[in-house]
Amino acid sequence: MTIRRLLSFAFTLAASLTLAAPAFAQQAAGAGDPAEAHKKIAMCEGCHGIPGYKTAYPMVYHVPKLGGQSAVYISNALNAYKSGQRIHPSMRGIAASLSDKDIADLAAYYAAGH
Amino acid sequence: MRRIFVVICSLLALLVSAALEAKGNADKGKARAVTKAGNQEPCASCHGADGAKPVAPENPILAGQYSDYIVKALSDYKSGKRKSAVMNGVAAELSKQDIEDLAAWFSSQKSSLHFQR
Repeated sequence: MTIRRLLSFAFTLAASLTLAAPAFAQQAAGAGDPAEAHKKIAMCEGCHGIPGYKTAYPMVYHVPKLGGQSAVYISNALNAYKSGQRIHPSMRGIAASLSDKDIADLAAYYAAGH
Repeated sequence: MRRIFVVICSLLALLVSAALEAKGNADKGKARAVTKAGNQEPCASCHGADGAKPVAPENPILAGQYSDYIVKALSDYKSGKRKSAVMNGVAAELSKQDIEDLAAWFSSQKSSLHFQR
């Protein structure tokens, strides 16, 4: 194998790895890490972390139980609040501040049922 | 005399709170969840038996959820405030009483759903 061939092989390998990296990163974000969520649940706890807590606005009802709910459902809900597709004043504001990774971590945290 | 007044007031308060809290009938809700002409299992076919084991992770667990939250969700699906290709159609078929009954039924069932800090 000539040096030029070797170089071209190395270049192709490096290029394909670079291209593949974001895909791996996205997969990692999709899985979600419950341990990471511990740093982020402070804003959830204010309502969902108080037993029997009821939202006072715009209607009075219990905020839903999240422990044990499926991660896919929770991340879909947060993304729908974030995009404005699902309407709730407080949840819209909170979800808007979350990254894809935050959403995946929080969904994994509640689904795991800690 | 005063004692009687206190007793009457407490009884009235109990009656009012019972009327406000327990509007739904769980047995009627169960019947509504399982059978409806043309659709044998309008709820269970997606949310699983008793709403405890959904057939796909996109569908939430309903068993053990707060009843007033279920009422809120179904009412918003019915009015179109909350959007879902499937649930808007399902909720459109429900009366306000159906919604109260279904919420009473699902909230009284057991599942992995729980309060979590």
